[in-house]
Amino acid sequence: MIELANEELKFSFPDVHPDAELTIEFQRTLRIPDDDQNHPLPPGLGSFPVQHVDDHAVNVPSKWLQHGGVMLPMFQSEAMWLNFDSMWVEDRDVSYPFAIKVAAGKQCAVSGESWAEGLARNPQNYMIAPEQPWLDGFVVEKGCVRQFVAMPLGAGYSAEEQITGKAEHGGLQVAVYPMKRDVFERRYPKPKRRMQLGRDSLCQSMAPEMACMTPDMGLAPGGRMKQEIYDDPYDLNDWKIDAGGRCFIHLCNSMIWQSMTGSLPPHPAPTAKTYTDSGLPWFDYYDDSMTAVDGSSTLSNLKSVAQLSAEKGDVALPENESVTPSNLVLCRKGLKKGQVREGVI
Amino acid sequence: MSNFGDYLRKVREERRSGDATFSVRQLASRVGVEPSYLSKVERGQQQPPSEKTIAALANELDEDPDVLLALAGKVSGDLQSIIRRRPKLFAELIRQLKDMPDHAVLRLVREVRDGEW
Repeated sequence: MIELANEELKFSFPDVHPDAELTIEFQRTLRIPDDDQNHPLPPGLGSFPVQHVDDHAVNVPSKWLQHGGVMLPMFQSEAMWLNFDSMWVEDRDVSYPFAIKVAAGKQCAVSGESWAEGLARNPQNYMIAPEQPWLDGFVVEKGCVRQFVAMPLGAGYSAEEQITGKAEHGGLQVAVYPMKRDVFERRYPKPKRRMQLGRDSLCQSMAPEMACMTPDMGLAPGGRMKQEIYDDPYDLNDWKIDAGGRCFIHLCNSMIWQSMTGSLPPHPAPTAKTYTDSGLPWFDYYDDSMTAVDGSSTLSNLKSVAQLSAEKGDVALPENESVTPSNLVLCRKGLKKGQVREGVI
Repeated sequence: MSNFGDYLRKVREERRSGDATFSVRQLASRVGVEPSYLSKVERGQQQPPSEKTIAALANELDEDPDVLLALAGKVSGDLQSIIRRRPKLFAELIRQLKDMPDHAVLRLVREVRDGEW
């Protein structure tokens, strides 16, 4: 069962386990410079507002109604990351494990392969929670992702268009699979302390960047940042594939969000330079106990928005100045509970 | 009517035991009614006050306004408005829910619809 509550998607599987519950939050963030340098993780700037597509059936494209799911607004060249939070199981002293698949334009953000039901191991096309707290972009090589950056579908920048040559789907697609209950109870018979990391918000405003008036946005590869996607330490058969839930997240151009929904989109995020010059923190996360998946050759061959716009002669990424973060916060799994990835003004 | 008055007096007296400003006189003054009227309401000698006054009493006494309104035999204006918009649907829904345990009612949620990709 998938619910939308407090701008989060809540996947729950009460028929598998009463605590089998995972929430996914779509965090606004600043766009890191697309300059081929490896940057640390940017902060959370608050949740994107998320609404049911069915609530705006009169105004949304018929294709969105066919897909079902939810919608959220993004400005052109605005960035996003996903926050995963699985429910703590009190009597086991551990968070319930999940396998999570994320695709953009139906191209897997981890493996680069086209969307297919279920999970695959070679190459791994999913992440695991609670070990993987966040996903910030396309996995282009081991320990490195290219940031999720919104671009109008049809402009040629999205990963989908670069891989398939078509601007067909756009948006984000997510599927979640819980661990089988008997496997969970066998693997976690005794309490074992783990921690959850969160990334909170700050808000700043800036002038809107140029925008395209088509409603569909796709996610394109932006600047590089250090982020490991962890190998699945479990057996593929541990996941309850037949109980999974999936959701299509439509990305609506913020410039027409209000005409579709009657509500204003959030302000665009500050630039990386403005943020960094203010001395606000960037983040680094690592987990010594886990190994990272290799990057996908399909995804590593993608051109970033800056590279492609230079070829096209566009100005797709205004205000793309390089930055040198001086305030770096390290988040290491196993440190004190409550350690967060946030910027506070 | 007496249910509302009895409950109101019980809650107010509890507050007054620790705070003298919850006398009938002072509470009536804060919610904008005459002390004699509030006293009669508590004794069941007067009909419960308006929705606005009940909301003010709930606010002063830190009570749930919907619960006070229900004790007074009323339904809040916003709920009436919601029901009036789709009376048949909500009448059917409420009848279906009437015998459900609280935890089942609280689990009444809207699922995100999945379609064809």
